[in-house]
Amino acid sequence: MGLNPIGYKPWNGKRTEHNRRFLVIADSILRQKIKGIWFLGMLILGTFIVHVLPLILRSMSPHEGLSAIMMRDYLGDGLFFIFEVILVALVCSDLISEDVRSNSITLYLSRALRVEGYLLGKWLGAMITICLFTLIPPLAVSIAITVTQSGSDYLSSFTVVGQTFLAGLWSAAFFIPIGLAISSITRKKTYAGVGTFMFFFILMIVATIFTEFSTGWALLSPLELLYDTHTVIYGLELSADVNQAILGAIVFILTVPPLLLVYLRIMRKGVGK
Amino acid sequence: MASDVIVRFDNILALDNFSVSIPRGVVGLLGPNGAGKSTFIKTILGLVEPVSGDIDIVGLDPRKDVMSIRDRVGYMPEHDCLVDSMSGLEMVTYFGRLSGMTKEDSIPRSHEVLDFVGLGEERYRPTASYSTGMKQRVKLAQAIVHDPSILFLDEPTNGMDPLGREEMLELIGKIAASDKSILVSSHILQDMEKVCQYVIIIDNGRSVAQGTMASLLDQDMTKRRMTVRGSPKSLQTFSEQIHRDFEETSISEEFGQMNIVFINDGSFAMILDMAKGHDVQVRSYVPDRLTLEDVFIRSMKRDA
Repeated sequence: MGLNPIGYKPWNGKRTEHNRRFLVIADSILRQKIKGIWFLGMLILGTFIVHVLPLILRSMSPHEGLSAIMMRDYLGDGLFFIFEVILVALVCSDLISEDVRSNSITLYLSRALRVEGYLLGKWLGAMITICLFTLIPPLAVSIAITVTQSGSDYLSSFTVVGQTFLAGLWSAAFFIPIGLAISSITRKKTYAGVGTFMFFFILMIVATIFTEFSTGWALLSPLELLYDTHTVIYGLELSADVNQAILGAIVFILTVPPLLLVYLRIMRKGVGK
Repeated sequence: MASDVIVRFDNILALDNFSVSIPRGVVGLLGPNGAGKSTFIKTILGLVEPVSGDIDIVGLDPRKDVMSIRDRVGYMPEHDCLVDSMSGLEMVTYFGRLSGMTKEDSIPRSHEVLDFVGLGEERYRPTASYSTGMKQRVKLAQAIVHDPSILFLDEPTNGMDPLGREEMLELIGKIAASDKSILVSSHILQDMEKVCQYVIIIDNGRSVAQGTMASLLDQDMTKRRMTVRGSPKSLQTFSEQIHRDFEETSISEEFGQMNIVFINDGSFAMILDMAKGHDVQVRSYVPDRLTLEDVFIRSMKRDA
C-alpha cells in the first residue's frame, strides 16, 4: 500500500431521488444471488423438474385451452412447494443476518435511506429473485399452453395467464416475510436458512398430525394455504371445509407481523441496541 | 451546532443538555467509553430522537431534514462494517449508489477515492480477506465516495500500524483541506493532537471542555519543567519542599537527575534560592506546554 501523491477531488454529480434508492439494494441482491452456486443450482434443477417437463408435456398434449384448475393444480404441486421453500431459505438467509453480523447495517442507516426503504429494498430483491422460479416459468408454461391450444377462446386463456401472473407474485410474497423475519433474529445465515425451511416443514407436520382430529387444522399447512389462496386468485370455489376468515387470518399472521418484526429489529439496530 | 440536547434511553441519560458549536476543519471529539460520542453522532444522523434541544447542521434540523443531512454526511464507524461478500471496489460503488450516485458516476468515483486512500489492486479482492489497515481505508473510502461536506470518523486509526496511522492522518488532513468539516472521535490523543484544530471533550453526556487546540494547550502558561542535579539526599529534600510549596504535577528521577513539572506563577529567582539552599544545581527551567492528554485528564477530573 502507501499513498499516491494525489489530493482529494470533489464530486459534483447529480444525486438520484431518495425514494428510488431502495432499488439499488434490490438490484444488488439479484446480482449477488444469481452468482451464488447453491441458489443457481437449485433454481436450474427446480425449473427443469417443476416447470420444463410440464411445459413440454402440457403444450404437446392435445388441449382446448388453458384452464384455471390446470394452473392452480400445477402451482399447488408438492414439488413446486418444496423447491420454493428451499429457494426462499437460500435467498433470505443472509439478507438481514449478514448485515447485522458484519455491522454493515450501520452504513445503510447512515445513508439517506429510511428503515422502510432498506426493508423495501431487501423485500423487493428477494421477491425478484424468488419470482425467477415462481413467476417467470409458470407464465412461460401458461403462455405456451395458450399459444398451442386447439380452441378459439383466447380471452379466457389470457385471463388465466393474468391470474397466473398474480399467483406467481403471491407465491413469492407469501414466503418471504417469514424468511426475512428469521434472518433478522439471528446473526448466522446458516441458522436463518435452516430455520426458515424448518419453520414451514414443522407447520406442515403439525397440520398433518392435527388434521386427523379436525380438518380445520389443514389450514396451518403452508402447502394447503398456498393451494387455497391460489384457488381464490384463480376465481375457483374454495372447498367447503375451508373457513375463509381463518384462512385470511393465518395468511395475515404469516405475512404482516413477520415484516413488522423485521422493521422493529432494524430500528433497534439503528440506535445500537 | 447543538444546544441543550437531551437524549434518553429508558432510564439512562445519554446526552445531558449537550451544547457544542462545531467550526469548519478537523474537530476532535474526545471522551471515555460511554461518554455519549456515538449517541451524538447518531442524533445528528437522525437515528436517535432527542427528547429536547436544538441541532443545526448546515442550516438543517435532523428531526425535519434527516435525508438531506445524511446526503451531506459521510460516516466511518469504529467497528468492522464491511460487506464480506463484496470486493472493496464493489462495496464503495454500492454505498456510493445508496448515497445517490448513478452507476455511471459511482464506478469511476470509487476508483478515484480508492486511489486516494491508497488501496491498490486489493480493491478487487473480497473485503473478508483484508488486513485491518485495508479495512480502515475502505471504510474511509465509502464515507467520502459521495463527497460529503461533513465527515464523522469514529476511531479512524484503530488497529493500524504506525505507518498506516500516519497515512490515515495525512488523508484526513488532505480531505480537510478541501473545505470540509470533519468530526474525529478517537482514544489516541497523540493522533488527535496532530490532526485536530478544535477539540470537544465529552463526559457523561455533557461537553466538559471545548476550544481550539491552541487555546486548550496554552491555557496553563504557569506550568514549568525543571531539571535539577545533586546528591540523592539533597534531591529528596528539595523535591519535598517543591511538593509542599507548589502544585506539582509530576516528578521523576534517573541517574542523579530529577525532572519536576510544577505550577509556578512566581519568579524564577525564588526557585534558584531554594535550589541553592538545598545544594542542588538547576540544569534547565522551561515553560511546559500541556499535552492533549493533560487537558483530557484535567477535564475528566474537574467533571468528576
